[in-house]
Amino acid sequence: MAEFLETDCKLEEILPEKTRKTRTPQFQQARTIRPALPRYRNEISKYIILRDEEKCAACGQCMAMCPQGVHVKKPGYKYFALPKSHLCFGPKCEAKGCYCITACPRGALRIQENPMMKALGDYRWPAAMILATWKMAERGEVPSADYGYEFETGDSGGGFDRIRFKFPGKPPIELGKDEIDTSLELNRRHDGRPRIRIDVPWYGGGMSFGSVSNTTQLSKARAAVAWNTFSCTGEGGFMERMRPYDDHMITQVATGLFGVREETIQRVRIVEFKYAQGAKPGLGGHLLGDKNTEAVAKMRETVIGISLFSPFPFHSVYSIEDHMKHIDWVKHINRRALISTKVSTPNDVDMVAVGSYSAGTHIIHLDGGYGGTGAAPDIAKKNIAMPIEYAISKVHNFLTDEGARDQVTLMASGGIRNPCDVAKAIALGADGVVIGTAELVALGCVRCGRCSTGRGCPRSIATTDKMLVPKINLEWGAQRIINMYNAWRNELVSILQRLGLRSVSELRGRSDLLMHLDYTNDVVEHKS
Amino acid sequence: MNNELIRRLIDSKKKLIEEFDLPVTVRKSEEEGGCGVVGFCCTEPVPGKHIYEPSKQMHNRGNGKGGGIAAVGFVPEQLGVSRDLLEDHYMLHIAFLEPDVKDDVESSFITPLFDVAVSQMLDTVADWKTIPGLEVKPPDVCRYFVRVKADVLDRFILDHQLRELDRREAEDEYVNQNSFKLNQMFYSAMGDKRAFVLSHGRNIMILKVVGFAEAIVDYYKVQDLCAHVWIAHQRFPTKGRVWHPAGAHPFTGINIALVHNGDFANYHSVCEHLLQRHIWPQFLTDTEVSVLLFDLLSRTYHYSLEHIIEALAPTSELDFDRLPEAKKKLYRAIQATHIHGSPDGPWFFIIARNNVAQKQFQLLGITDTAMLRPQVFAFCDGEVQVGLIASEKQAIDATLLSLSKDDLRICPVADRYWNARGGSHTDGGAFIFNLTRESGRLRMTCTDKFGKPVSLPKGAEPYDFASETYLQYEVGRDIEQKIRGFVESDAAALYRYLRDHISAWGYDDIRAICRLMTDNAKNTNTIGIAIKALTMLNDLRYPTGAKKRSHLLHILRGELSRLLKGLPRLDRSQDAPGNEYRLIDFATRNALRTPMQNETTLAIDAFGFPPEGEQSDASLLMDAYMKGWRRFISFGCIGQRYIGNGLGPETDDVTIDVYGSSGDYLASGIDGMTIAVHGNAQDQVGQITKQGKLVIYGDVGQTFLYGAKGGEIYVMGNAAGRPLINSVGKPRVVINGACLDFLGESFMAGDPHNGGGFVVLNGVRFGDDGGLILMNEPYPGSNIFSLASGGAIYVRDPGKTLVDQQLNGGMIAPLTKKDWELILPYLEENERLFHIQIEDLLNVNGERRDPRQVYRKVVPFVAGKVAEELEDDLLDEEFLEEEALYEAGAVVG
Repeated sequence: MAEFLETDCKLEEILPEKTRKTRTPQFQQARTIRPALPRYRNEISKYIILRDEEKCAACGQCMAMCPQGVHVKKPGYKYFALPKSHLCFGPKCEAKGCYCITACPRGALRIQENPMMKALGDYRWPAAMILATWKMAERGEVPSADYGYEFETGDSGGGFDRIRFKFPGKPPIELGKDEIDTSLELNRRHDGRPRIRIDVPWYGGGMSFGSVSNTTQLSKARAAVAWNTFSCTGEGGFMERMRPYDDHMITQVATGLFGVREETIQRVRIVEFKYAQGAKPGLGGHLLGDKNTEAVAKMRETVIGISLFSPFPFHSVYSIEDHMKHIDWVKHINRRALISTKVSTPNDVDMVAVGSYSAGTHIIHLDGGYGGTGAAPDIAKKNIAMPIEYAISKVHNFLTDEGARDQVTLMASGGIRNPCDVAKAIALGADGVVIGTAELVALGCVRCGRCSTGRGCPRSIATTDKMLVPKINLEWGAQRIINMYNAWRNELVSILQRLGLRSVSELRGRSDLLMHLDYTNDVVEHKS
Repeated sequence: MNNELIRRLIDSKKKLIEEFDLPVTVRKSEEEGGCGVVGFCCTEPVPGKHIYEPSKQMHNRGNGKGGGIAAVGFVPEQLGVSRDLLEDHYMLHIAFLEPDVKDDVESSFITPLFDVAVSQMLDTVADWKTIPGLEVKPPDVCRYFVRVKADVLDRFILDHQLRELDRREAEDEYVNQNSFKLNQMFYSAMGDKRAFVLSHGRNIMILKVVGFAEAIVDYYKVQDLCAHVWIAHQRFPTKGRVWHPAGAHPFTGINIALVHNGDFANYHSVCEHLLQRHIWPQFLTDTEVSVLLFDLLSRTYHYSLEHIIEALAPTSELDFDRLPEAKKKLYRAIQATHIHGSPDGPWFFIIARNNVAQKQFQLLGITDTAMLRPQVFAFCDGEVQVGLIASEKQAIDATLLSLSKDDLRICPVADRYWNARGGSHTDGGAFIFNLTRESGRLRMTCTDKFGKPVSLPKGAEPYDFASETYLQYEVGRDIEQKIRGFVESDAAALYRYLRDHISAWGYDDIRAICRLMTDNAKNTNTIGIAIKALTMLNDLRYPTGAKKRSHLLHILRGELSRLLKGLPRLDRSQDAPGNEYRLIDFATRNALRTPMQNETTLAIDAFGFPPEGEQSDASLLMDAYMKGWRRFISFGCIGQRYIGNGLGPETDDVTIDVYGSSGDYLASGIDGMTIAVHGNAQDQVGQITKQGKLVIYGDVGQTFLYGAKGGEIYVMGNAAGRPLINSVGKPRVVINGACLDFLGESFMAGDPHNGGGFVVLNGVRFGDDGGLILMNEPYPGSNIFSLASGGAIYVRDPGKTLVDQQLNGGMIAPLTKKDWELILPYLEENERLFHIQIEDLLNVNGERRDPRQVYRKVVPFVAGKVAEELEDDLLDEEFLEEEALYEAGAVVG
C-alpha cells in the first residue's frame, strides 16, 4: 500500500516537505488469526456448571467426556478447577451423548442458565449476540451452532431484526468461497484522485481519544491495517502515536474542530466531515469533564476537566454551497484525499445525500438512529433519526433516479452489529457499512451504557483513566478485532455463496432478495 | 384599512382554494441550500449587461441548475411604450414551457379579462446551445402590458364586497388571483407544467432559466435593456434533474421580486400561517413562501416596511429590551400575530420593489435574526449614486467595476461597506435603498429598518476618472526631489510625507506623485519602498481634505496594481537580473519554477484564476511554496478562496500580502506564517489557525477564527457574526471595531495568564478625518462568551454598557494590573500596525483614564482546572512524554 501511495501520487508534488517529514514507516500487521482468549478468568457464559465438591470423587469421567474442555483438573492437583462455563454447550449435549450432568456417577454436577443472561445486553444487542461476538473475537469464526447463540438478529422487533434474506433452496450458481470478492472501491468519481479499494466492505467508525482509550483506538487501527481497510480518529484529534497508521486512518473534521490541523488533514487518504451522528442528530458532541484528562485536554488544546461541546452544526456551513466550499477547502489542503460526508438520517436524507454528491463528496456516510454508545442520550437514540434501513433504500433509489448512484460510494452505519446486518444493508442499497459498537464488543464491552459516566468504563474500553486503560493489552485488542473481522467476512462470503453472488457489489441494491416480516405472508420465518 | 375589509380580502382568496379543491397541507418539493444573491440600484438607468459580471462572480454559490434576474424601473422608449403606460399598466411576463400553449393561456387568462395595450414576445438568440451556462432551453416569454377590464373588475369587487377598497388595490388583487389561477391550470407543482407567470407587477420584470443567471442576459438579449434596479440569483438546487426554471428565483409578488439565500427550518409552519389566510403556495420552495409573506404583510395588512421586517425577522433578547417602550408594545403585538409565520433558520432576502404609492424604486436587504447567511451592503455616492447588496463583497466589486467602465462618474470603490445586524435594535437587520424623483432626476437614500439614514463620509469632491490631465501634470521640483529621495531610502518617511500633504493636494497632484513613485521604482529596494508606502496609504487612515476617500483609494490601488503588474515576469528569467521580485499570472502559470538566487518574492496576479480547485491561485501558491518560494504578494483578487491554505506545518518563514477582494477561508489552518490582508476579509477566515500572525486592515466576515488554536491576530475594523467560536489553545486577538454577535461562544482557550488565549475588543471606528471615534457600545450583540470555559475577553467599555443579560456562562470581572500587563504588548503592536494610539484608547471624554476604568474583562463563570492544581488522577505525564517522543520521530512503529 505504501508503495502505491509513493509512486502513484508523487507525494513530493502534493505534500509540503514538513508534512512529508511527519510520515513514519507504516505499521505492518499480518492478517493472522490467533486465539485471543477472554481477558477475565471467568467469562460471562450462557450456562453455569456447578460442582458439588462434597459429592465429587474426582473420577475424571466428565473431563474425558466433554469435547469442549469445560472440566479441568490440572496435573498434580487434587481437585477440579472451577468449570469453564463459557465453553459449555448446555443441555444439547444430552442428545450427543456427552452430557456430563447425567453422566456423573455421583450426581455432583448441576447446570443452570446464567441469570446474567437476563441482565446482559438489551433488545438490540441481546446477550446471545454479545456472547457470539466475543466468541468471534476470540477465535476468528462464528461460534458453532452448538452454542445456540442466535446472533443474526436481536429482539428489537424492528429494523434489521425484522428483515430476512430469501435464500433459494439451491444457489443459482455454485461458487467456491475463494471465488467470492468482498472488496469495495471507495472512489467512484473518476476525478483524478486515487482509487482506494478496501478488502472488506466496512471500515471502523470514528471514536475520539477521550471518548475511548488510545489502546482502543490503536487496536482498531491495527485491525484496519491487517484487513486493508480504515479506522477513523473521531473528533478528538490525531494522536502522534497514530502516525504509523496514517495510511489506514480517516481524519475526522467534526463541528468542534478539536485537534484538526492542516497536517492531520494532509497525512491521511480519507477525510471525513461529521455533520451529525444518527444516534443524536442535532445535538452535537459532548465529552464530559471527567474524561477530559490532561492528555485529552492537550490533544484538544482545551482546559482540563471541563466538559467539551461540539456544536451542531458546523458554524461555517449553513447551506449546500457552504458545504461545497468546505469540501473544496479540504481538497485544496490534501490533493489526494477522498472526502466522506457523514450525515444523520432526517426525513429529507435523500436530498441531503444528492446535495453532498453534487458538492463533490466521494463517500456519503449515512448514520442511522440505532447506533450510539452510552454517551448519546436515551431520549435521542432511536427517536430522532430515520431508521437506517429506510434511509439506505431511500437514498439508494434517489441517487439512482438522479443518475448519480455509480459516482458515489454509499456507506451506512448506526446499528450494524453482525455480518448479517452488513449483508442486509448492502442488499438494501449501501455499498458498504461503518461499524462502531461491534468493535467495542469484541474488546469485551457489555453494553452497560455507562460510556459517558465518570472515567469508569467497567471494561476499560471507553475510558481515559490511567488505572483502567492498561487493563487492555494492545496486541490482544488488535487480535480480537482482527478475529472478529475474519468471522464477519467468512459469514458474509457464505451468505453470498448461498445467494449465488460473486461479489458484494452484485449484492448491492438487491432488495428483492430480502423480505420484511411485517409485510410478508410467509408463515415460516426464514432464518437469515 | 379596517379589519372587516382585510377579512373580506382574505376571504376572496378562500373561494379560489375551494374552486380548485386544494388539499389542506403543503410539502416542500425540493431542498436548496444557500445561493449567490446580488442586487444593485442606480440613479441612472443601467443596462442589463452589468448584472453579468457579479452573476459570474457567484458561480461557485450556485450549481448552474437555476438562475434568475429581475429588473425594476425601465426606460419607456426602450420598451416601445409611453411613460404613463409603463407606470400604470401591469407588466405581465409569462413563460411558456410548451410551444403551442400560448393561445390556450391567452384565451383563458389574458384576452377575456384584460385590456392588452401591448404584447411582445421577448427576443432570443436563435440557438440556446450557443449560450454557455444553459442546461436546457429557456422558456419562451411573452410580455403583456395590461389593465383589468372595467366590467371584470366591477364584478370582482361586487362578488367579494370590496367596494370600500381602493379600486387600484382591488385590481392588484385581481391580477394576483388571476396569476394564481393561471399557474394552477397550466403549472401546478404536482401535475402538468406548461406555462407559468414569471412576474405580474408594474414596471418590473423577472426572467429565469435552468442554468447560470448571466446566461439570461445573453439568451433574452437584455444586455442593453436599461433599468434602475437589478437583482440576480444563482441557485444550488440539490435535485439533479431540473428541466424547467419555475423553481428558480426571483419570485414575484405584486410590484416586488425577491431572491433568497438560505433555507427555512419551519417551512411547514410558515405555510400554515399562509394557509390560514387562504394563501396557497404553488411552487413549493422557501422563496415563493417568502414573497407570499411579504405580499400578504404589505398588500393585505398594509404594514409599513418597518413592520413587515419585524414580522419576518423579529427583534429578540437584549435587543428587544433596548427598544423604546412604544415600539416594544407594537412589536410585541406583531410578534404575537406573526411569529409562526416568521421564517426560522438561515436566510437573507434581497428584494427589488416598485413602491408605486410613494413613487419610489426600492432595493432591500433583510437578514435573519441570527445572521446565518453572509451579507454585505455598499453605498457609492456622487453625481450618480449606486446602492448594492450581495452575499459576498466580490460581487459588489465586480458590479462597481463593470458600471464604472461604462460611466466614469461611478468609482469602483464604494464610499461605505457594511453588514446588517439581524433582529437588532440598532439597525433592525435590514437596509433599504430608495430611489426617489427629486426635481426631475432620481436621487438615492439608504435607511435602516427604523428609517435612520446611513451616514456617509463627508468628503464630497469627486475625481473625474476620465481626465488624463495628470499625465501632463507638473509636480513641483522640491516635491519631486523629496519623493525621489524617499523612494531610495525610507518607506515610512515617504508615507508620512504623503499623508501629511494629501489633504492639501488635488487629485491630479496625488495621481502624478504616485506615478512618479512607481516610475522610479526600478530595483528591489525602490520597488519595495514604493509598494510599502502605497500600501500604507491604502491601509491607514488620515485626513483627505475635501476629497473623497473612496476616489483616492481607487487612484492609489490603481497605481499599486500598475506597479505590481510591471514587475519582472517569472517566465522571462533573463529579465531584470538581480531583481528580487517576480510576477506570475494565469496566462503564465505553467512557468512556475524554483526561485533563482536573489529571487525572494513571488507576486501572483490573482485576477483570472478560478476561485478554487487545482487551477486556482491558492493552489499555485501552494506549489510555489513547495518549490521553495517563501514571500508572496497576492493581488487583483476577486474572491479567490483558500489563500495561504495547504502549506502545512511550521511555515514561520512565509509571508503573504493580499490585495483586492480576498475570498473565504483565507489564512485557515496557518501554522507560523504571517499574512497581511490589505482590505476587508471575507468569511471563515483563520479557521483552525494554529499559530502565526494575521493582520487585517479592514473588516472581517462571518465565523472568523472558528476552532482556532493559536496565532496573533489583529483586525483594524469589525468582525461580523460568530467570531472565535469553539476556539481553543492560545489565540490572541485584537479587534478594534465591534462584533455583530456570538463572540467567543464555547471559547476554551485555557488561562490567559498561563499561556491561554484572549480577545481584546476596542470598540472604535474611524472618523472622516482619520481620527478615532469611540463607540458608545462596543458590543451590541445579545450573546457574548456563551458556554465558554477558558480564555477571556477584554472589552474597552468605560461606559459599562456590557450587562449580565448578554452573558450565558461568562461573568464580568474588573481588570487587574496583571491583565493590563498581559494585553499591553498586543495593544502596542496594534498601535504599530494601525496607528491606533493606546493614549487615544484610554482617553474618555477628553481625559486620560486608568486602564482599569476603561477596560473590562469577561471570564468563564466556571473556571477550568490548571495542571498544577489537579489531583493526580487527571494527570497523564507518562502518556504525554510518550507522545512527545512520537512527535519527535524518536519512536516509530
